[in-house]
This record gives sequence, structure tokens and C-alpha cells, in this order.
Amino acid sequence: MNPFVQLWNDTVKLWTTYAGLYLNGVWTTIYLAVICTAIGCLIGLLCGILNTIPYGRNDNFLKRAFLGTVRGLIRVYVEVFRGTPMILQAVVFYYGLPYFSNYTLRFENALLCAFFVVSINTGAYMAESVRGGIISIDPGQTEGAKAIGMTHWQTMVSVILPQTLRNILPQIGNNLIINLKDTSVLSIISVSEFFNVHKSIAGTTYLYFPSAAIEMIGYLTMTVVASILLRMLEKKMDGADSYELTQADALSLSAGTYTLNKKPEDIHNRNLEGGGKK
Amino acid sequence: MSEPILQINHLSKSFGAHVVLRDIDFTVNPGDVISIIGASGSGKSTLLRCINLLETPTNGEILYHGKNVAGKGVNAPEYRSHVGMVFQSFNLFNNMTVLENCMVGQMKVLKKSKEEARANAMKYLEKVGMAPYINAKPRQISGGQKQRVAIARALAMEPEVLLFDEPTSALDPEMVGEVLTVMQQLANEGMTMLVVTHEMAFARDVSDRVVFMADGVICEEGSSEDIFTNPRKQQTRDFLARFRKG
Repeated sequence: MNPFVQLWNDTVKLWTTYAGLYLNGVWTTIYLAVICTAIGCLIGLLCGILNTIPYGRNDNFLKRAFLGTVRGLIRVYVEVFRGTPMILQAVVFYYGLPYFSNYTLRFENALLCAFFVVSINTGAYMAESVRGGIISIDPGQTEGAKAIGMTHWQTMVSVILPQTLRNILPQIGNNLIINLKDTSVLSIISVSEFFNVHKSIAGTTYLYFPSAAIEMIGYLTMTVVASILLRMLEKKMDGADSYELTQADALSLSAGTYTLNKKPEDIHNRNLEGGGKK
Repeated sequence: MSEPILQINHLSKSFGAHVVLRDIDFTVNPGDVISIIGASGSGKSTLLRCINLLETPTNGEILYHGKNVAGKGVNAPEYRSHVGMVFQSFNLFNNMTVLENCMVGQMKVLKKSKEEARANAMKYLEKVGMAPYINAKPRQISGGQKQRVAIARALAMEPEVLLFDEPTSALDPEMVGEVLTVMQQLANEGMTMLVVTHEMAFARDVSDRVVFMADGVICEEGSSEDIFTNPRKQQTRDFLARFRKG
């Protein structure tokens, strides 16, 4: 038989029998990826805010020591979780915690552990993206906010982070897509996400390749849809290209180069309508 | 005589070994319109930025109503909300519309309600002639318009004194007029203003006091008439001569 026809027949057979299991797996993968990317972003933003709290020689020793320690801890966190494979992080937290705590400390179920591991892993990457994003914002934005009396927190939340978020949205998209695919490693702690479904179905039916074909199509569909949605979100965040005038602008129409009148009484007669024309 | 708003005593600032400001003394009284002139690199902008604590002074005092704000343990955000600043590069918030730019400080810092902030913002946008553009984003309006919004944003905080850091230097010549007209109107209304500027006509005709800076010190200070018609120092004369062509 033609191998393509064979593949088609096997795939259809698998799908008609196990569609429910596959779709459950897809659903688990999607909500793991989406929620963990969101939590990871929050972790990243928080690290970004903490990392950029300014301190100078006018601040007391305690504040400087505290902020220095915070920055050091964030650095260690980023290096450790960015520098080790997620598959091992899952093993360490799922099996390592009970091992070291004599079974008093452990995750109730694998899914909870999965949420934890993927979130802090994403957070480590996002912390660096956010840092880059904050650096890329013109320092004038911070000065403008400071000049009207905003605190560091207010400046970050109202002015800097919204702009940072827009700039790093492509990077957030990258993380979402990476998470959609990389949650597959969580099968190591037997979370029943999409890839784990494949392992168990292939194990019972011995139809390894047809099941893998379904997986390929499934993952590709998820990532393509995610990427389209992200593009739409980017467009939406940019806002309208045009704006509406609410009335005519009197000043800019009459504006010209500025020639001040010599006589002071003329100066005091000048007003907004008077513009630069003589 | 009324109590001065700002009194600067022996202020100095250095970046590493580079001394930018040396032993600056001067006083800002309510209603003063003071122009700070001088060559590039003479420390004018640094002085203004020190006054707003955007730079930390190395030495000296800045007394705001008699209270030193240049020392340790000062609530800088609180102080800055009384001292408005307009920048050379506008520094409007790019993620907000014109109206939101003028409202955010009132709501977050002064804790005003949204309605109150909006009404107040409209009042000042009206004053600078930018009311028609409330829905525009900063990237959609011209430089002169941006600067007028920046002035409205500072005014909306109802500051006691307004600092202008070369407000027209980044503008095309045809846009300088609209900004200076607004500033002149503010001066006429009695706003206390401290203006770092290269617009000699403005310094001469609008301000009542002129400070000429050179090499990080105040070289000469006096009424605008004295400085422009009868400067005492040779350095001042040389500087002003460069603007006397034509």
C-alpha cells in the first residue's frame, strides 16, 4: 500500500478513537502555556521594577544594602533558571522537594508543579527582556514623570512599563510559542499535556508515526494561531493612526517666526490670537 | 517684601573631576521671570536640573520656602510636584494622548478625581491653544505643539514656579513663536518662571531679571535692561555682541 494512504488511514483511525484524549491534551497545553507566560511576564515586570529603583549617595546605608541584595538575588534567579534545562527543573521540584524534606514538602499534583516550573522559567527569560525593554525607553520619559512629582513606582506603572510592554510584545510572543512547544518536556513528571497523550496512545496502539503526525499538526496549528493573535494584539496596542480635532487650532495657524516688539506696551497687547505676524 | 520661593546658597555640582557649577547663589521671588543666558556648557541646564533635583547637587543648599531640599531624607517627588519643568525635548509620555498627559500627574500625584483632573487639564490646554488636539498622541503632533502640551502638563500641576530648560532649542524656527507667545502670556499673568534660553529677544523683553552664566559661575546678574543695554563685565558684552548682528 502507498505509505501516504497508509498514514492517512492510521491517522484517521487514531483520531476517531482518541480525539477526546488528544483534545484534552491540547487544552492542557494551551492553558499551561498561556497562564504560565502571563505569570512569567508579571515576574519579569516585577524584576524590572526592582532592578531599576534608583539609589544614590544621598540614600541611607540600609536602603542601598537592601537594593543591592535585591539586585543580586534577581541576578542569581535569572542565571539559574535560564541556565538549566526546564526538564531538570521539573524533576528537581517534583521529586527533589520530597526527597530533601522527608516527604513533608511536595507538590500535591504534577500539574501544580508544572505551573510553578514553567512560570518561573519564563519569568527568568522575561526579566532580561523587560530589562532590555526598560533600557530602550528614552530617559526623557522618566525625567518627564519625575518632574511632575511621580514616584518610581508610579513612573514605572503609568509611563515606562506600558511602553516597555509594547516594545517587548514580540518577545512575549516568542515565549508563548516556546512554552506551547516546551511544555512537552513536562511529560517527565507525567503531566497529561499534548505530548504525554501521544506517548500513552502510541504505547497502547504501537502507531508511533501516525500519532506523531497528529502531534505535529496539532502543535503547528497552536503556534500559528498564537502568532496571528499576537500580531492582532500588537496592532491594537498601537492605537489609531489618526486622531480627530475637537475644534480649530487658533495658535498654530497664526504662528510664525517670533519677532518681539520693541515697545513694552505692544508686548502687553499681544495675545494668543496675535501670533507672530506684524 | 514677600518670602522667596527658592533660595540657592553656594550650590556646586561636579561630574567626577569635572566641575560644572561653582558656588551659585541666587533667589527666586514670587512673580519673578528670570532668564538664564550664557554659552553652551556654561552650566545653565545643570543649574535648572539641580533645582528640580534631577541632578543631585554636590554641595550647597536649595531652600524651598526656607527648607533645604538638597539634603538627605527629602521627599523629592513631593517637592517636584510644586516645581514644574519644561524640557528641551518635550518628554511627553508617548503612551498617552495629549489629554492623558495632562491628567496623569493630577490623578496619581495630586490624587484628584478623573473629572476634576480632566476639567483642569482642559483649562490649561485651552490656554496653550492645544484643546483641539486632546485625542492626539505625541508622535502625531508637531514640535511646537508638543512643547505647548508640555507647558500645559506642567501648569496642570499648579506649580509655584515653572522651570524651562531651553524650551525652544529643539524647534524649527517657525514653531518657536507659538511657544514663546504662550510663555510670554504666562509671564504677563504673573507666573514665576525660570527660563534657560538662547532667545535673547525673549530674555530682554519678557523677563525682569537676567542671569548671565559663564564657566559654571554667575558672571553677571541684573535687570534685563541693565544686562542688555549696560553690561558691566566684558564677558557679558562679548557674549551679547554675538547676537547683535542685523
